[in-house]
Amino acid sequence: MIKGVKGETKDARIARFLVGGPPLLFLLVFFVAPSLIMILTSFRFPGEFGGLAPITAPEDMTIGEYGITSEAYQFFFSDVLYAKIFLKSFLMASATTLICLVMAYPLAMLIARSEKRFRNLMVLLVVLPFASNFLIRIYAWMIILGPESGLSHFINAVLGIFGIAPITLLFSPFAVLVGMVYVHLPFMVLPLYTNLEKHDPSLLNAAQDLGANAWQRFWRVTWPLSLPGVFSGSALVFIPVLGMFAVPEILGGTGDILIGNLIKDQFLGTRDWPFGSVLSIMLTLAVLSIAGLATWFSRFATRQGTV
Amino acid sequence: MKPQRRSPMPLVSLLFLLAWLVLLSAGCAKRDQNTARATGNVLHLFNWNNYIAPETVDRFEEFCNCELAQDYYSDNEEMLAKLAAGAAGYDLIVPTGNAMDTLIRQGALRPLDKSLLPNLRNINPAYLDTAFDPGNKYSVPYAYTLTLLGFNQEKIKELGLPTDTWAIIFEPKYLEKIKGRVTVLDSQRELMAAALKYLGYSVNDADEKHWKEAADLIVRAKPYWAAFSNTSYIKELAVGNLWLAHGYSNDMFQAALDAKRTGRRFKIGYSTPKEGAVLALDSMVLPQSGNRPGLAHQFMNFMLDGKNSAELTNLIGSGNPNTDAMQYIRPEIADNEAIFPDTETLSRLEMLHDLDRRQRRRLSRLWTEIKLR
Repeated sequence: MIKGVKGETKDARIARFLVGGPPLLFLLVFFVAPSLIMILTSFRFPGEFGGLAPITAPEDMTIGEYGITSEAYQFFFSDVLYAKIFLKSFLMASATTLICLVMAYPLAMLIARSEKRFRNLMVLLVVLPFASNFLIRIYAWMIILGPESGLSHFINAVLGIFGIAPITLLFSPFAVLVGMVYVHLPFMVLPLYTNLEKHDPSLLNAAQDLGANAWQRFWRVTWPLSLPGVFSGSALVFIPVLGMFAVPEILGGTGDILIGNLIKDQFLGTRDWPFGSVLSIMLTLAVLSIAGLATWFSRFATRQGTV
Repeated sequence: MKPQRRSPMPLVSLLFLLAWLVLLSAGCAKRDQNTARATGNVLHLFNWNNYIAPETVDRFEEFCNCELAQDYYSDNEEMLAKLAAGAAGYDLIVPTGNAMDTLIRQGALRPLDKSLLPNLRNINPAYLDTAFDPGNKYSVPYAYTLTLLGFNQEKIKELGLPTDTWAIIFEPKYLEKIKGRVTVLDSQRELMAAALKYLGYSVNDADEKHWKEAADLIVRAKPYWAAFSNTSYIKELAVGNLWLAHGYSNDMFQAALDAKRTGRRFKIGYSTPKEGAVLALDSMVLPQSGNRPGLAHQFMNFMLDGKNSAELTNLIGSGNPNTDAMQYIRPEIADNEAIFPDTETLSRLEMLHDLDRRQRRRLSRLWTEIKLR
């Protein structure tokens, strides 16, 4: 919320700088600088052994190129393959966000409307999974979804009644989606809860007095007021899912490759830093434009909600 | 994402405090044991996970009156990436041939002083003088693994499938009987190597047409595979969820051992396909940035001793290039042809060479295409 700064006193300006300076510096150091490094990297040649080829020709150079090139960008745009994998990743991220929202909303509402003394405990329970290692939790899903698990047996027994052939849960897009939702659910619950907690209950009472039924009270009062929470929660889920590579690697099948896996591979197996940088830049651009859209929507919704 | 609100639960805080105290006291106990670190007599080893027997470490520390500090990696690329990112101070690394080749050409390694390595005579000449390091100027063989097929013996026998050929992971006529029960390695080089070998080419063939043939073979077989898996196949084979896996010999050894220890009704077998396979020879090398070359030579010579070298094989079922070690290796391992191949099989094994940067980029695109199909 940047308000006009005209007519500001000198003290206020200094105060503004003191408050805004550190976060701004943080962004410069941890976002702008790495992005610049990535942009520079993307215009280099990959080194013969990994890393980067030199910009100027060394004296003892016998093989390989040096200097500046847009080769990696050409490689990216020369094939529809990479657009496909972006699309696939965005679909996965959208599905995860939607499922997280549908699951998190009732929970956040429940917490926000519980008695005050239980709320902190419930919030603690939501974040408790973070206390155990992320990879261990994902590996646990391997066991839960595995063909010999109780869940698999149960599902296939039910399917068997209807004459449907047994299915495998693990190593499938379904397993990846389950893993993604599981990992990111708290990131949706927390912003929703902080938003819903602030709602004034008298608004709902007023709506009831004016004859609104339960559904109308939710749809016309609670939901519009909660939209900022919905948008920030969605951003917190959508963006990390796009970069995630561990979940598809562990739970995915033979076709479950996402953009995160591809980028990781450019820096490890393929040792192609420039192309990895191009992919990262494209991802950053995509994420930034989505975050921009979300902010715009969120502001729009806030204005609508408060009018 | 931890909420910044005061915790209303003294019990929870108390538990955290207790956990902290336990951790702290454990840390102190450990520090007391390691007085060697304080005196600065430390050898820094950058090694694969679980790639040296604990008793060997203890004996070496006693022998040299020093401490062996280990950091671990789980693949060569990770190790190279860490070194490229500036990790320094390691006295010894244990890379596989192609990664060692990279390090040698980068000039990152220190030549060996063979007068300090009398035990070098224990190494089988078949594993010396490789294309990566002619004359072993920089490297001493440590252990090796084969990339092969591991399988559930009972199931595969019951279905009447062959286990001595790559056809079983590439040919739909075999695969349809074991659909969804097969995994292959999540490694561009290893899987391409298997496909290239099956087609009769070298694992290092980089011809575009041959790669295309291999990719087609992989795409045709892919619907029958459950997943690309680099580690989870060990457990999945051992519990019976998987019936066939493309993987490393020491991992298959682990899976077989796990199945036996947990009393499964089946056995895990493994064999090298007749078409040939990848041999990965890991060697000890000295990075230029190491501070203790003398101590590192001592460690090398110590590990070239048959008894010490055999302990690793007995622990993880790795192949052993040390002829003196054979007498200390448990007979069921020493007699296993998938770990110690006969000379005929050995002649069909190949080591992977590093690809150049253009080939790497090309292979990566092919791999992405394979995965998206």
